[in-house]
Amino acid sequence: MNFSDETLMAYADGELDAASRAALEAAMATDPQLAQRFARHRALRARLRAALDPVLDEPLPERLLASVRGTPEPRRADNVVPLKRKAAPRWSWPQWGAIAASLIGGALLGPLLLRTPAGGAVVTRDGQVLASGALALALSEQLASDQPPGAAVQIGVSFRARNGDYCRTFVLRQKSALAGLACRGHEVWRLEVLAQNPVQPAAAAAYRPAGSALPASVAGRLDELIAGEPLDAGAEAAARAGGWKR
Amino acid sequence: MLLPRLRRFARALARDAHDADDLVQIAVERALTRAAQRRPDAPLSSWMFGIVRNAWLDELRARGRRARVFAPEEAGERIGDTSQGAHADLLAVQDALARLPEEQRAAVALVLIEGLSYKEAAYIMEVPIGTLTSRLARGRETLQEMLGET
Repeated sequence: MNFSDETLMAYADGELDAASRAALEAAMATDPQLAQRFARHRALRARLRAALDPVLDEPLPERLLASVRGTPEPRRADNVVPLKRKAAPRWSWPQWGAIAASLIGGALLGPLLLRTPAGGAVVTRDGQVLASGALALALSEQLASDQPPGAAVQIGVSFRARNGDYCRTFVLRQKSALAGLACRGHEVWRLEVLAQNPVQPAAAAAYRPAGSALPASVAGRLDELIAGEPLDAGAEAAARAGGWKR
Repeated sequence: MLLPRLRRFARALARDAHDADDLVQIAVERALTRAAQRRPDAPLSSWMFGIVRNAWLDELRARGRRARVFAPEEAGERIGDTSQGAHADLLAVQDALARLPEEQRAAVALVLIEGLSYKEAAYIMEVPIGTLTSRLARGRETLQEMLGET
């Protein structure tokens, strides 16, 4: 059997399917010339990696860490592209926090994580912001029509998104009131948006009609995601009974 | 941690360590302003590699405008004239990479150095997989000629 150079490269790159791989390996075992053709490709990969891998072990420059933390320093030289700066980067911590954690890890992020507005109610994992603690519990268990008085989390409207996921809006009644929207998938509540709630926490204690107390960013995301109408009390209870599975 | 890999990728593209870190910094700043627009189904790493790569293309265009194009001849003279060892080999490899056409260099950096799949690399470079693999094949052949049999 004849093996093209492209096949040998694909093998070196881990791109061959199992059958082709087995055929090639069997052929190389009895054909030293073929094995040598492959060895060239493997050696090039190894040499490139050996040359560039030490970069991974270099200490991360402080200016890069500062950028990830959202407090950029001026760049070094004048011989690089002048970045067309927008006045101030518009970003929100729930969106950037998970990315920042993936870029430099929680340890280097350090103090910023403590500044996460929702305290222990959100965690970052694999580049996503997830509900945790009391928030995750309330999202899974609490019905809008039956909220414990004084609960730390008030559920707003529940609905199905266009992709079929169940989503719910909520208000966190903490020192600083936060409102948000989370969707269920892969056994977790994924935060779509989290924003300062303009409504006073005390005012949010009373049950309000769905959506009426939501910040514009949360209401806007709701409008983007929702398929059809919000769930009524019966549908909400049924969704809970089904574990919020699609 | 993704940042060290972004630095390695940028170093393969830009060669100069300071230029490479400038690229990463630009990419992080751009990512910060675009975090809200990221498609949640796209892996963060692909998204970030793509931003670094686009920042590099912008940089090359700006260099072209300033007519301060990197001169490969100067780099060539450095091959073999430094001390033995890992640092010399880094220079040799980086000089060879720098002489590849840009799209071949990016393909080589993403697949051979970063170890990404053809699919991921093609996604990042915004080209079909067939285009990616042909750039990769040409880049490999040129590197093997420049670096000699290893």
